[in-house]
Amino acid sequence: MFLQLTLSGIAQGAIYALIALSMTIVYRATTIVNFGHGDFVMAGAFVVYVLVIYLGLPYVPAAVLAMGILFVVGVGVSRGFIDPIKAGPHIGFAMMSISLGYVLRGGARALWGREVFPMPQVFDMEPIFIGDLVVTGDALFIVAIVAVLLAVLFLIFYRTTVGTVIQAVYQSERGATLVGVNVRAFHETMWGAGLAIGAMGGILIAPISLLHPDLGATFLIRGFAAMTLGGFGSLGGAVAGGLLLGVGEQYFGAYINTALIDITAYLIIIAVLVIRPSGLFGKAVTIRM
Amino acid sequence: MSETTTPSVLSMTWWRWICYLIPIVALVIPFFANEYLLWVVNAILVYILVTVGFNIVIGNLGQLAFASTAFFGIGAYTTAILMVYIGIPYALAIVASAVAGGLAGFLASVTALRGIRLYYLAIITLAFGELMRWVYLHGDKVTSGSDGLLMPQSSFFGVTLDSEVTKFYVFLLLTVLVVKATSNLMQSRIGRAFVAIRDNEASTASLGIHTARYIVLAFVWSGAVVGIAGAMYAALIERVFPESFGLTEVIVHFGMVLVGGTGSIVGSVIGAITLTTLPELFRQFPGMDELFFGIVIVLVLLFLPKGLVSLLRRISPVFNERYYRD
Repeated sequence: MFLQLTLSGIAQGAIYALIALSMTIVYRATTIVNFGHGDFVMAGAFVVYVLVIYLGLPYVPAAVLAMGILFVVGVGVSRGFIDPIKAGPHIGFAMMSISLGYVLRGGARALWGREVFPMPQVFDMEPIFIGDLVVTGDALFIVAIVAVLLAVLFLIFYRTTVGTVIQAVYQSERGATLVGVNVRAFHETMWGAGLAIGAMGGILIAPISLLHPDLGATFLIRGFAAMTLGGFGSLGGAVAGGLLLGVGEQYFGAYINTALIDITAYLIIIAVLVIRPSGLFGKAVTIRM
Repeated sequence: MSETTTPSVLSMTWWRWICYLIPIVALVIPFFANEYLLWVVNAILVYILVTVGFNIVIGNLGQLAFASTAFFGIGAYTTAILMVYIGIPYALAIVASAVAGGLAGFLASVTALRGIRLYYLAIITLAFGELMRWVYLHGDKVTSGSDGLLMPQSSFFGVTLDSEVTKFYVFLLLTVLVVKATSNLMQSRIGRAFVAIRDNEASTASLGIHTARYIVLAFVWSGAVVGIAGAMYAALIERVFPESFGLTEVIVHFGMVLVGGTGSIVGSVIGAITLTTLPELFRQFPGMDELFFGIVIVLVLLFLPKGLVSLLRRISPVFNERYYRD
């Protein structure tokens, strides 16, 4: 029982980790928290759905194409909506991103109504039995993909110039501009990358859960919970927070009350921010007056 | 030449009197409007209070808090629960809702005081609102879950709220009182302190202003005002259920504040009027609310960041909030 819960928690948590990581990328690169991120994740899942069901594409090319589309969308968001309000107060970014999210959510609802969509099974594999433990193909697939993706991302962030540039822009946009970084293009790329990776989360979860326009809100809160738990802005923290959240939800649901699965994320956010705002791995950045 | 240099057509005092005249002229609305139209007008009155209350925290204090939905729901549920189970009169229930909303505001302010600001505050208040909705859904014994609570027949100092007409007069009275009180507060030393904190908290503190106290006060006042709006909402829709206080409500409140103009009471009123009326036109289509509010906010942020009230400011400087200058 315990092991089974842990296992499904990890599979679920891998998705949260991916979403939290993609939010962290946007945040680290642009210091903007994307409050519409969940809806972009939802949009990614819907794009795959459209490509697979309506256009008959196989899942893998559809997934790649969907990520590409979301990358372009991310660049567009940065260029068309975030850049023009740069001079305004920081609060405007939050409002802009949350509104864009609502546009997507409303758009999805207007197009597909109040239905829920089942995606066809992608990984049609016999479950593996290890003693009492059941390992489904989906879970394996998700964890494997996420692990590979994370490895690649961390290599990029910590072993390449891209990582250095991210750090430079995060610390000082002005300074980065002075040493020849095209900050604007960099922001656009990072918005694109963030949305594409976030979409990946939606794409992976699409075959194992039902699609509906309100999925975005769930993702957003889960992503926030993972980020806060791991420490806001910390890449490793986002991953650890996501996994912990996934496992925690399963434990809470099984051992205390199933209704708690829905609010584990909220409780974690509130508890962490009140008790230890810097999270598990983050650096303290609180302001006190 | 440009509009800003033209002298205002009417003097400041005249504009002020016109503002005071609006609620008096509004008294005749029930003689013209049908039941449905009057329902919309009542909804506008409810949302005026929501927007005025929310604007205090977001516009004047400049804190990114999403807690207005929570305050709104807490106000509505307080009224509904007290009236259904204890049978207290509506007037008392409104006071209770204001207190409950104020308490919720106090809770929210405590997080702000603990150094949880900007994004953190937004996230924690968002979680708070969603948590409250979960409580309404799962507190079956008291809130009867997703079915919601049916409001009993309410009367306000002997006036039975059984038609939209009587509701209108009661709501109008409440709205005018609360808006005027808030307006006075915002023009006092206290309102000035809110704006000072928004513009520069450190330098405000250095002037010997106890910033923490004012932050608590702003949140409590905001919570109480939105709580009263919640009590009115309960009487308006007659059945209080969790879905009324979901995430769509967040964007509705946001939209009203932004479209009207942040930090402006006149703006709040304008925002509430426009954004309560317009969505009525396409109520029946799924997703249109979200789409509409989302697009409207995006457009306002891009092209009219000071909201509709900034158009009025071009006509007369009276629409400049006294302590809200750029």
